[in-house]
Amino acid sequence: MAGPSPHKPRRKVKKTSNGSEASSVAPSTASRAGSSRPAYPLAAFLWPARSSVSQWEILPMILMAVGLFRWAAGLWGYSGYQNPPMHGDYEAQRHWMEVTTQLPISQWYFHDLQWWGLDYPPLTAYHSWVLGKVGGYIDPSWFALFTSRGLEDPILKVFMRATVIVSEYLVYIPAAVIFVRRLTKLQGINSWNASIALTAILMQPGTILIDHVHFQYNTVMLGLVLASMSSVLAGRFMWSCVFFVLALGFKQMALYYAPAMFAYLLGVCLFPRINIPRFLGIAVVTVAAFALLLLPLVLGALYDAHRGIDARPDLHGRFAPLPIFSEYSYLINFRAWYYPIVQQLAQMVHRVFPFARGLFEDKVANFWCALNVIIKLRNYPSELLQRASLLFTLAAITPPCFVIFAKPRKELLPVALSATAWAFFLFSFQVHEKSVLLPLMPMTVLLAGKHGLSKNVRAWVGFANLLGVWTMFPLLERVDLRIPYYVLSLLWAYLLGLPPTSLAVYSQDGQPTWAGFATTSIHSIFYLAMAAWHVAEGFLSPPQNKPDLWVVINVGIGAVGFGICYLWCLWTLVVESGIVDFSKLDKKKVKAQ
Amino acid sequence: MADLYPSIAQCAVVATAFKVLLLPAYKSTDFEVHRNWLAITNSLPIQEWYFEKTSEWTLDYPPFFAFFEWFLSQFAKVVDPAMLRVYNLEYASWQTVYFQRASVIATELVLVYALSLFVRTAPPAFKRPSHAAALSILLSPGLLIIDHIHFQYNGFMYGLLILSLVLAREKSTRLASGLLFAALLCFKHIYLYLAPAYFVYLLRAYCLGQKSIFHIRFGNAVKLGTGIITIFGAAFGPFAYWGQIPQLLSRLFPFSRGLCHAYWAPNIWAIYSFTDRLLIFAAPRLNLLVNEEALTSVTRGLVGDTSFAVLPEVTARTTFALTLLFQTIPLIKLFFDPTWETFIGSVTLCGYASFLFGWHVHEKAILLVIIPFSLIALKDRRYLGAFRPLAVAGHVSLFPLLFTAAEFPIKTVYTIFWLVGFLLAFDRLAPASNKPRVFLLDRFSTLYIAVSIPLIVYCSLLHGIIWGSRLEFLPLMFMSSYSAVGVVGSWVGFLVVFFTS
Repeated sequence: MAGPSPHKPRRKVKKTSNGSEASSVAPSTASRAGSSRPAYPLAAFLWPARSSVSQWEILPMILMAVGLFRWAAGLWGYSGYQNPPMHGDYEAQRHWMEVTTQLPISQWYFHDLQWWGLDYPPLTAYHSWVLGKVGGYIDPSWFALFTSRGLEDPILKVFMRATVIVSEYLVYIPAAVIFVRRLTKLQGINSWNASIALTAILMQPGTILIDHVHFQYNTVMLGLVLASMSSVLAGRFMWSCVFFVLALGFKQMALYYAPAMFAYLLGVCLFPRINIPRFLGIAVVTVAAFALLLLPLVLGALYDAHRGIDARPDLHGRFAPLPIFSEYSYLINFRAWYYPIVQQLAQMVHRVFPFARGLFEDKVANFWCALNVIIKLRNYPSELLQRASLLFTLAAITPPCFVIFAKPRKELLPVALSATAWAFFLFSFQVHEKSVLLPLMPMTVLLAGKHGLSKNVRAWVGFANLLGVWTMFPLLERVDLRIPYYVLSLLWAYLLGLPPTSLAVYSQDGQPTWAGFATTSIHSIFYLAMAAWHVAEGFLSPPQNKPDLWVVINVGIGAVGFGICYLWCLWTLVVESGIVDFSKLDKKKVKAQ
Repeated sequence: MADLYPSIAQCAVVATAFKVLLLPAYKSTDFEVHRNWLAITNSLPIQEWYFEKTSEWTLDYPPFFAFFEWFLSQFAKVVDPAMLRVYNLEYASWQTVYFQRASVIATELVLVYALSLFVRTAPPAFKRPSHAAALSILLSPGLLIIDHIHFQYNGFMYGLLILSLVLAREKSTRLASGLLFAALLCFKHIYLYLAPAYFVYLLRAYCLGQKSIFHIRFGNAVKLGTGIITIFGAAFGPFAYWGQIPQLLSRLFPFSRGLCHAYWAPNIWAIYSFTDRLLIFAAPRLNLLVNEEALTSVTRGLVGDTSFAVLPEVTARTTFALTLLFQTIPLIKLFFDPTWETFIGSVTLCGYASFLFGWHVHEKAILLVIIPFSLIALKDRRYLGAFRPLAVAGHVSLFPLLFTAAEFPIKTVYTIFWLVGFLLAFDRLAPASNKPRVFLLDRFSTLYIAVSIPLIVYCSLLHGIIWGSRLEFLPLMFMSSYSAVGVVGSWVGFLVVFFTS
């Protein structure tokens, strides 16, 4: 009725495929509204808003509902809660507020690195400074130097939870709302389906569990990337660069997206015709954004040097080699005016990119950790492993980057970002299990795209997300967060009609296809494995000589599943881009029938 | 049936997910009260239940509720036996919390069932409004705040009440309705306030003839009478046998408490107290006598026995007489017009009368008005006009129950979510009335609702910033006076609607 919706056919098919349902409707009232029904619970919840409800009524409702779930989840414990001596991510974030508000800017990246030293890029530091200032105004003891370490004041917890929500509602949520609106307009999807997609994206269990329960500010970085994608949709490439630089400046993990983003932006400068002004604009804006990002740090270093404040008071005015390029340190005069800048930036880069650490720290569901189960990687020299990691990553990111470079169409960007992020997650260095949020974010926003709410896309997006939170279960379980894990992931599965609450996404309407059959069988195997793993982990203790057995199995299954997700994203990208012409194949099939 | 989405079951699933997330939320002393009752009923012989006083939270609900606690304690035994020790005061292991919270969530299924029955038995033309009303009760912020954060079993209790109200609709189930209500009284005696409406309705619509009130249906009267006696016998019989009835009654009806509860429930007495407070300042000019003793006791605003400085004292007898008077008025109409809608209206008005004029009314008792009213709020636009200020005032008045910072966003955002969602939906669904509007109630109610926003902002944020911890009774007084105006206004509005339709 209102606008071309890709989902109306699905509902019609449902009606005819289920005879009893259609016959239950009295013929006199067999209007379209009377005979159709929502295919999954989330559609049912927005059912009353199908027609004649303005966006300004439904949007605040959605934002309030998702906010309530976030805040309620935040009532649970955070990482490192009552877990001395080091506590966890919560303490790290709190400590950064302490460091940034109590110390001169030049000491931020140097202060007592053993206790959660600052190791995120400058925007995180500035963000911490703002939050620390606000919090210090409420209660100065929260961020007092040294004495506030490991503080577990319940009001501080409320404040910290509030900062995550506020940061998210200022960055991620507006970005998601605008992105969904732009993408759905671009694809001609009606606003009702856009609302469903938006709710599904905002209820994504992974981000809620990590940011609002476990405690981090990932949504700020993800929101900036989303804003960057959103700017691409609007054709504002320079804004897109600014947002992307800010994302990088907030959390270096945004580098996972960088190759695809770079390939896309390069692509739009070259195809369909070479566009030099655009290229120059992008380049200049990117450099300027980086400069602006670093400016407070640089000026702060100069100002502190001018005031006679040493970045490293522990050295008592002596000289220490730079942490990176140490062998060239002697080339720089440490009394030169520019030395504080060099020192500051070198330290920042050194803190942000810890090359010195191993291939992987903890058990994480990527290729290396899974491989480690079969071959003990510890026996190989670390240079070899690093080189192998680089090679594998490059090999995995090249296809998606090539496709998005050759076919720089804006609606392909999410899936391209997702594929490259999967490649990084699977093969790169120093991956953390929480990093799975990176590939998941652009993959989840596919729900707002063309056929985004179709069974196939819902099945795959749902599969990746549920597998993703499942691999984070060991992380959450360590701080007794089983209940929010089960509640939020099952709730999301329920809302979108996914296993284990419903198998409806796998019932094929009309012609069964091989692809559908493959999807069903792959997903069933994984869902069964996940369920069995939960039963085993919950009721059986691992054998004496293998205390990590459940985690290792989790990692193994997760890595294979993520590999499949990577392949699906790549496949979708290739098919959607039309770089390979599948229509000929289809025609052949039709002829054969 | 085709259009009833989201279904009650779907809402129940999502609401349950939210309630499970609230497991670690703030819980009031009522949590310890119920834990203590679990311990008493599990570990002591029945004869001692109403005598035990190790904890200050003695058993003060009727016997069926005690039996219900005993039933729960059979499961509690498996979960954590330590919570069942009477001397284990303030015991709150995570097993205890999870168990007690889970028991609230599980017993709320009675409410879910009652509401789905309500929708199923609604006449076809009222299916959609009934469905919306049912969802509004299921997702009520009142129940969320009181049961799932503050801690009580209202979902279960109101489930029984709604079930009984719904059963009263059909002639064939009216007996069951009466018996169920009798059983409910043996669970929680607060529902005695609604009993007059039940009495008149069942008398008129079940025991007396439809045409003539002089045609007595003895068969029905005997069935109802013996049924009720059996139920009360099952509840109180054993205690009567042991001669414990005086003790039991002294527990159930503690008349030693003051007129106003610790927080002022938004009723006539809140307005009365507020007027008294204002008159203290005006007294010198008006040459009124000021009771000096009262000055010191009222300033806190958090008093057990309020004494008034200027206005005359209010006795329990006065409140009782007023309550009964205002309950009787609608019952006269019910007696001559015993339809189901009038019955629900009378139940609502009985709730109003007891809430507005009762002795030691707790603000939680507002559910006694809101929930029956919800069932008929969508009858037409005039009903809705009276319901709207009640929905705002009633829920806002519950805010002081939760005073912790962590729960502040939940209570406010959830209530706003509910108000926006359901008041908008109700607006679309309520049919126009065939009677003209009596006065500009809806204009007033819009203004009234608008005032709530700056009020909440002031009370929860600005007051603390401006005054610090001084004058801490002020926000409470503003809130309850504001809410009282809304409740009284909606009561007057509903009285008009009730008697003119």
